[in-house]
Amino acid sequence: MLAALLLVMGCAPAGAATPAPAPALTPAPALTLTPGPTPDAPSPAPPSPARRDYLLACGGCHGLQGASNSRAVPQLKDLVGFYLNTPEGRHYLPRLPNVAFAPLSDDALAAVLNYIVFDFGGASVPTGAHPYDAAEVARWRAQPLNDVPLTRYRRRLVASLIKSARAPASLGDYDTAPDPGASRVRP
Amino acid sequence: MTRTLAGYTSRRSFIARLGMALSAAPVLPLLPVGRAKAAAATSGVQTDFERYAQTKDDTKCNYWKYCASDGVLCSCCGGGSHTCPPGAEPSPVSWIGTCVNPDDKRSYIIAYRDCCGKPMCSAGKDCWCDGEDRELPVYRAPLNNDIIWCFGNASATYHCSTAALVSVAE
Repeated sequence: MLAALLLVMGCAPAGAATPAPAPALTPAPALTLTPGPTPDAPSPAPPSPARRDYLLACGGCHGLQGASNSRAVPQLKDLVGFYLNTPEGRHYLPRLPNVAFAPLSDDALAAVLNYIVFDFGGASVPTGAHPYDAAEVARWRAQPLNDVPLTRYRRRLVASLIKSARAPASLGDYDTAPDPGASRVRP
Repeated sequence: MTRTLAGYTSRRSFIARLGMALSAAPVLPLLPVGRAKAAAATSGVQTDFERYAQTKDDTKCNYWKYCASDGVLCSCCGGGSHTCPPGAEPSPVSWIGTCVNPDDKRSYIIAYRDCCGKPMCSAGKDCWCDGEDRELPVYRAPLNNDIIWCFGNASATYHCSTAALVSVAE
């Protein structure tokens, strides 16, 4: 969800496929979100609202635990917190089109952003970073990055974070995957 | 809904139309169809799919996890409801929706993931499904079931569709 359009992704094969059908409520261990972890096991406890919203709006591409192929979909795990090192980076997250236009209230969107940053960000989150609140999200999602070349904007922002916030070079991996060159609408 | 689309639609034109749709998204916050589906997701009203859903046979379109599956079932092609047939690899990206299990009436989070890298499976018509529960138009790409999710695989060729159970939803 943090990219303008997440339509390209890398992958490695999963383990051997087995033809045996799964019982109705058995988790799905065979498919892996390479290089991320295997899907969660269904739990009797429901996910938090923020986790649920993340899964439904973001997790398909960014990975169930925030791990993705960073060349095609920005990796969140252990990286997303670097954006909170500068005001521009902090504002960038709610200004991303798929974030700004997510069908969520300001409160719910702030909760999702905080879930992403503080649950996935790990050591990338700067010391003392404060969580987003609804007012901040409302202010910045009203100024979406839909009137700039987003890839170029991101590249410049990431370069500045690598230089000034000691973010790793891998923060700049996004958009370097080859175009698969096939139809993107199912038959 | 788009099974015949690929026959006359190029990737470029799709991207152009998607771009237009995304441009229009802020102007048209949610079209009527989207609103109706969003309402159905929260109103507790049973969908047509849910009325006839079953939990026994995952080679049928009305198997409960396929409530928004669009394509040919991998379970008809040598794979399972959440596993790819031999020789096909799962897409690392998917879209994620929810389905109601008729046995316990609870909502579950489902990852709709394609299997890729082989020509399209030629299973019988009974294995071609088009569930639409809580699926949204393509301008809401993360909740759309018409997109092929094989991006970045070694081969982006679509083979079949799976529905992986992620967790209970609520």
